[in-house]
Amino acid sequence: MTPNSYTDVSDQQVVVFAQEGREDAYRELIKRYERPVFSLIYRMVRDNETAEDLAQETFIKVLNNIDRYRPEFKFSSWLFKIANNITIDHLRRRQVDTISIEGSPDAVTAERARATAVSITSGGESPLEELESRELGGQIEAAIAKLRPEYRACIILRHVEDYSYDEIAEIVKLPLGTVKTYIHRARQELREYLEGVR
Amino acid sequence: MIEHDFPEEFVPIAAELQRLPYLSPSRDFAERVISRIDRLQPAHGVAPVVASRHLELQQGGRQAVAPLQRRKVGLVRGTGRAVVSVGLVAAAAFMFFEIDLLTAILSAAATQYGFVMAAVGSQVGTVVLGPATIAYLQAGAVEAVLLYLTLAVGLFGGYAAIRTAAHIAKSKAA
Repeated sequence: MTPNSYTDVSDQQVVVFAQEGREDAYRELIKRYERPVFSLIYRMVRDNETAEDLAQETFIKVLNNIDRYRPEFKFSSWLFKIANNITIDHLRRRQVDTISIEGSPDAVTAERARATAVSITSGGESPLEELESRELGGQIEAAIAKLRPEYRACIILRHVEDYSYDEIAEIVKLPLGTVKTYIHRARQELREYLEGVR
Repeated sequence: MIEHDFPEEFVPIAAELQRLPYLSPSRDFAERVISRIDRLQPAHGVAPVVASRHLELQQGGRQAVAPLQRRKVGLVRGTGRAVVSVGLVAAAAFMFFEIDLLTAILSAAATQYGFVMAAVGSQVGTVVLGPATIAYLQAGAVEAVLLYLTLAVGLFGGYAAIRTAAHIAKSKAA
């Protein structure tokens, strides 16, 4: 089987080929998920180099432990779970930086988070950046960045990756009720942040 | 598409979230990941051997001597050196010791160990002259008889030369 013929092959089957040590299967898994994983991580850390390092760490960890994958779960869920763990660990290690830009992760309300955050809407943006930032897409990116990392992961998994609440709970290793609460609060905060834009 | 479980005010935001583009890592991302997958890397103990063989075959723009061939050449050289050494020791023995005693020892050895010496001689002959030459000699052709005779004359001639040299050396010493 050539790499091109993986088109109609399910993730589970590609994983089986990878477990047999086939390099083209590893490359296929990277090809399928490098962008979703990198995007999730980037939107959580907001730094290209860091996101790339963490995405790389995620794939290395997953693919080096491919034999431990249990086929009863979605491969993508397992992959996002590891990506989320690695990213949250990184953000916890960098907690001081996170507080200085986006407010304390311990803040329980949006108001408290805003109160502890540092404004990033400085006049240092280029005209193009300013133009982009006026668009709703750019505003949403900026609004996501203001959410707590746990909220960010949940809202992205729900609305960008289309995961169900149960799957998100499995990925972020939190109770289902907590996930629902996080997503509800994240939506509220996004609405507040974007009120003046629409 | 997920079902709506949010208020109407959030609908445009949800739609915009779904339109957010995927971001791409750098182009060599996959290569960097693959290079760190343990099971896809060659075993550390094997790689240097493969590399050195490769270099050996490319040296000087021509194929180098394979290890097996080199071993055969070494064996032939070793055998040649052994034969020359034994010859020199024998010549020295003929020149400086009592020839009759040496002849007696060789005669006794030939009598006692004739079969063994023949077998060893055959093996040594195979190594020195090559299996094709030995087979040729054993075939009993006229050319083979002539070759036997040449070898015998050479042997006796060499023996006579050594005896003459020993005699001259003794005379001069006296």
